[in-house]
Amino acid sequence: MWEQLLEDAPRFFGIWNLMFLGQALLNTLLLSYLGAAFGFAIGFSLAIGRHPRLNGIAPIRLLATAYVEVFRRIPFLVKLMCIFFAFQLSGAQASLFTIALVTVVLSAAAFAAEIARAGIEAVPAPQWDAAEAMNFSRWKVLTRVVAPQSWRVVLPPLFGYAVGFIKSTSIASQIGVMELTYAAKILNTRGFSALLCFGTILIVYFLICWPTKRFGEHLEARLGRRPKV
Amino acid sequence: MNYNLIYSQVAGHIPYLLGGAILTLELAVISFMVGWAIGLTNASILHFGPRPARLAVQGYVTFFINTPLLVQIFFIFFVLPDAGILLSPYAAVAIGMSLNAGAYLTEIQRAGFQSLRREEIDAATAMGFSVPQIVWYVVLPHIAKALYPPLSNQFIIQVMTTSIAAIFAVEELTGRAYNVNSLTFRSLEVFSIVAVIYLVLTLACSLALALLGRWLFRVKARVF
Repeated sequence: MWEQLLEDAPRFFGIWNLMFLGQALLNTLLLSYLGAAFGFAIGFSLAIGRHPRLNGIAPIRLLATAYVEVFRRIPFLVKLMCIFFAFQLSGAQASLFTIALVTVVLSAAAFAAEIARAGIEAVPAPQWDAAEAMNFSRWKVLTRVVAPQSWRVVLPPLFGYAVGFIKSTSIASQIGVMELTYAAKILNTRGFSALLCFGTILIVYFLICWPTKRFGEHLEARLGRRPKV
Repeated sequence: MNYNLIYSQVAGHIPYLLGGAILTLELAVISFMVGWAIGLTNASILHFGPRPARLAVQGYVTFFINTPLLVQIFFIFFVLPDAGILLSPYAAVAIGMSLNAGAYLTEIQRAGFQSLRREEIDAATAMGFSVPQIVWYVVLPHIAKALYPPLSNQFIIQVMTTSIAAIFAVEELTGRAYNVNSLTFRSLEVFSIVAVIYLVLTLACSLALALLGRWLFRVKARVF
């Protein structure tokens, strides 16, 4: 096993394979970070739309809650297949990358909404009462009272979830998106040993995820230490 | 959009899909229990063990938390045969999921161990308890209530994660969905039904775990 590995390694880390893996890495990064960014933005809106003191329209609150609960309880693979077939059957011309991105955005939104809800709930009730007594509009309550305090609670766990989405994008290989896992599968089919292919991308994934997670932990320690407003 | 959803062709396959849901639960329970045992052992090592063992456990946890489960299972399934270990798809998925769950459950239980007071362990040591005895008789009963919500949460995650087994041709819920899909070609219908089954399954699990927690530890776990 080891002799074969040493024999294969120079051929595996040739310039073409590295470019191929680099492209795949770029796709993984784009898919996960873009997806997380869009998803978190939608998730925050959902959390605001769910909160009884920020949104007075009950049907919208109900819809937002239903969305969050449903999308958190369906596996990523099943969501991916549903969206994949929905795109296919609607006849819309979308690239595989777009389909995977939509899936990441829709799941990230549901998870971010839960984190944001925890952040909003961390603001004590008397402050809401005070702001309402001062005749603040809902928008002002959000921007002047809730957001300045809750971002400290919300921001650090987002990085943990971002790591989760980097890992989920590996499932997008299932529909043939050219990201790291799919690249490894292709290289493996081309005859390189499974140890080299999957071992290499395991290390690459680790090198993306670990700093992201550490950054979140660092933020958590930093923001937690400061006195609360 | 000129597509009509026709559920009638898929409806006959629903019992077959529900049979897959049983396998899904089985995989989730196995991987959760093995992962829980790994996590408990690791958390004990992190709290009581010597430095090299602690470093090894930390390495294991950091690695498994920061790499995708799918690639971990690919590695187990395709690389270990080169070393002479041939695993069935089911075994490879179960091992991968257990190791992955073990890392998360180590993290969860480590946090529980840190909430212990030094005096309790000193007292147990003075009574001549060994480390496994301390963990089982002193630590666990103490932290069980605090650990229950995150543990049950992890179980729900585990139920959803089993869908990855479909990629390795294990015929659990998602795997059977692929089968029904290639029989009927009613793709969106099949996968939307499967999505609803997952929804009901995880809701039922959450509810059952919340009731169990209330009965066992008087935990006020919330389903939503």
